[in-house]
Amino acid sequence: MGIKFYKEPKLEKPDLICGWPGIGRIGIMAVDYLRRATAAQEMGEIEPWDFFEPQSVIIRDGLLKELEFPTNKFYYQRLGNKDMLLFIGEEQPSEGMRLYAAGEKAYRMANLVLDIAEKFGSQRVYTSGAAVTQTHHTLKPRVWAVPNSKDLIDEVRNYDNTILMSEIGERHGQGAISGLNGLLLGVARKRGMKALCLMGEIPYYLQASPWPYPQASISVLEVLTSILGTDIDIVPLDEMSKKIGESIEAFLGNLYEAEALPPQIRKEIRDSIEKMKYVRETPGPITDEDQKRIMDHIDEFFKKGGKGDERAS
Amino acid sequence: MREPVNVRSQPDLENASLIVGWQEDAGKLGPKVIDYLNKHIQGKSFCEIEPERFFPLGGVVIDNDIAQFPVSRFYAGTRKDLVIFDSSQPPHERYQFLKNILDVGEYYCKIKELYTVSGTIAPIAHTTPRRLMAVFNQAEFQRMLRGYELENMTWEGPPAINSFLLWLAQKRGIPGISLWPEVAFYLAATEDPKAVKSVLSFFNGKFDLGLDWTELDSQIKAQGEKLALLRRERPEIDKYIRTLEVGLSLNEEEQFKLAQGVTEFLERAADSHAGI
Repeated sequence: MGIKFYKEPKLEKPDLICGWPGIGRIGIMAVDYLRRATAAQEMGEIEPWDFFEPQSVIIRDGLLKELEFPTNKFYYQRLGNKDMLLFIGEEQPSEGMRLYAAGEKAYRMANLVLDIAEKFGSQRVYTSGAAVTQTHHTLKPRVWAVPNSKDLIDEVRNYDNTILMSEIGERHGQGAISGLNGLLLGVARKRGMKALCLMGEIPYYLQASPWPYPQASISVLEVLTSILGTDIDIVPLDEMSKKIGESIEAFLGNLYEAEALPPQIRKEIRDSIEKMKYVRETPGPITDEDQKRIMDHIDEFFKKGGKGDERAS
Repeated sequence: MREPVNVRSQPDLENASLIVGWQEDAGKLGPKVIDYLNKHIQGKSFCEIEPERFFPLGGVVIDNDIAQFPVSRFYAGTRKDLVIFDSSQPPHERYQFLKNILDVGEYYCKIKELYTVSGTIAPIAHTTPRRLMAVFNQAEFQRMLRGYELENMTWEGPPAINSFLLWLAQKRGIPGISLWPEVAFYLAATEDPKAVKSVLSFFNGKFDLGLDWTELDSQIKAQGEKLALLRRERPEIDKYIRTLEVGLSLNEEEQFKLAQGVTEFLERAADSHAGI
């Protein structure tokens, strides 16, 4: 197990920004877009075989050519006077059947990422992901910010469109961040490194959807680029976001008409989702119990491909 | 936690080749090949990989009335040039597990080559000869084994555990080959002794083992007779097998009916033979 460097550039206190797959691919899409928009260069990778199962093998004419694993790569770029390190992982290391990073492997991965950050002199780490909440897909997603140090609270308050956990409804500053986004914050805290997790809001009814949710990635990117003091062209991401918005509208249209669901449930789903256009999260327009019941129906609908009752077609 | 590898004795080996087979395999190919070889070399276990890191140990699986337990053992015997590894496939930490296999092979056994065996399910009739497909991890080793009637495999997709092991061996510079004999698809759930013989014939030639074929040939003959009886009793089964024999394919439903009919028949025959 180790880290392979393609090059070791001299960097000046680079901010480390990390992205992994998760709900709505919000974090990884934001960080990967930043990588492409800034033409960040590949500098190394964490050797994957001790963390991940191989996904594919290539055998040609009786010769084993390649075994492909999920990649976990580091990139770097200089933005004006500021250096940036990016870490993009195609998968979160996990144990058993868990979706998000957990266990010894995740802890080792978090430490390896921070080893690299320290090696290149990083003093600040950013992770990015999704905040599942009661919002509507037509509203601009806010960014929930969770620092690992009190010193960062005032700084976070100055970011646009960003809120702290204590500013969200009845949370009283409490909550949890699952997977590497949270773990990295904790391990950084243990090492005395300042870190901040930026989570773009995604409506709870889309958390199981097969689509990415670029609206939220854009919100996360806006915060990140303001921290980095750089501008990037987000028009392509915005266009993608509009197209996905159309798919969401079509999906919800099907859901509201789905004969597989009893009329009363359909009405309940429509009312609760539409209500969120006007009421954000607090005070909760629906109870947790209602949300769970609605999600059960929506999950089932997604599993059927969002096309309603096949028997009716 | 205990050490993952428990070496009980140092085997007396010279220029040894490691042969790896897995308990879970189409047509029971892996276990049959390993048993046959182990019997022939009078193999004794000298080392095992402890299960706790690699297998769920929340209980035991019962198979054919018997409680099973995952064992992962190395065997050596009368041949100084052969080491055998027999194991269940680990569901967890496969990289570490496979690394342990190669560590034992490299550091305790000084292996020079690696051989893995697994059946590959094929849409063929049991009466047709089995092709022996091969995947190498070095072109040089592939050249060395020309003349053994191996057919080069081409594949792109999810890797089997043998491909993972072969790749790890490649990284260490250990020449390796995965042998994939064809198993008639409708024998995958029971046994395919012809496929077993195709792999053993390769080893017999490669290592000059002088294997005694009496037992295996009688199994092939007995299975052939049982299936001939089934064909006489069940015309639709005979029709499906004849279709395969002339090189045509069956649709999904026909494949299912053939596999189900043959499996049930052979299992019933085995039960009655065992007096159950």
